[in-house]
Amino acid sequence: MRVIRAATAVVVVALLGLLVWDVAHRSGGHVASDVNKGEIVKAPAFSLPRVQGSGHISLASLRGKAVVLNFWASDCVPCKQEQKELNAAARKWDGKNVVFLGVDEIEVRSFAQHYLEHYKVPYQSVADGDGSLAGKFGVTGTPETFFIDKYGRVVPPHIIGVLKSDPGGLEAGIRRALTA
Amino acid sequence: MLVLAVAALAASGPALASEQHPTLDELEAMLVCPSCHVPLDESNSPIAQQMKAYIAKRIAQGATRSEIVDELVGPPNNLGVAVLGVPRTHGFDLIAWVLPFAGIGIAAVAVGAGAWRWSRNRKEDEPPGLRRLDPALDRRVDEELARFDG
Repeated sequence: MRVIRAATAVVVVALLGLLVWDVAHRSGGHVASDVNKGEIVKAPAFSLPRVQGSGHISLASLRGKAVVLNFWASDCVPCKQEQKELNAAARKWDGKNVVFLGVDEIEVRSFAQHYLEHYKVPYQSVADGDGSLAGKFGVTGTPETFFIDKYGRVVPPHIIGVLKSDPGGLEAGIRRALTA
Repeated sequence: MLVLAVAALAASGPALASEQHPTLDELEAMLVCPSCHVPLDESNSPIAQQMKAYIAKRIAQGATRSEIVDELVGPPNNLGVAVLGVPRTHGFDLIAWVLPFAGIGIAAVAVGAGAWRWSRNRKEDEPPGLRRLDPALDRRVDEELARFDG
């Protein structure tokens, strides 16, 4: 009887431990919160399928370049509002060791493709179909923009919402990613 | 046997029809909105609407149920197993996969241990005299019985 009681207690404690670990784990990555505090943190590695065309794009393949990582979705109104500004910035920084990369969040692919065509987006996007990359970055909604330096580290600022919410943030982020 | 075969055939007919010619209603009831985690037919979230449109389009194109589900879970849409409404295979949700098998295993061990213990107790409970008669006594009992029979 004592053995059964002890075994039951062990099982209950183990389940509670697993639950606590899972809740902590599910709360998402700490990239966003750390960068918001002004810290420079290692970007989570990823390799995701392109929204347009075939094949994958990995973060490792972009090493040595400054990356502007923009999380978006086709049904997101603020994303549409900032798309023109992102397009212009991508053209401005083209060929200057800066890569713009969109991350499409939890969408049926054809809708994302239609969005990219409609807004004539001049850079590539990858599909984060199950939202796992957004989870690793600690993204809470779209749009959100991160800046990754040539060493694969996320540098401040982290722009939450449209680019206009952080005037000069896009330019500052690119410059910091280039010089970090 | 024949009745069973006929019953199996009768049951497989609708299942086969559903696989080959799925309806929007049955797929909406089967799949889950990956962002709000409710059945598709109860959700009006943007991704749920996209999925419904995709399903309707693929049904019109003659896709089977498995094809449509596979295309939502994997390429080209890669929405993951969350659309199936099944628990994740890691973290706390893993319990949902492990617990039934663990329960069966624990129950089997418990029944086996119980049966073994019960059979052992029964042997111990038997009076010592009944276990084995002394050979001399055994012979005497046989002789007495033979005398009665005779």
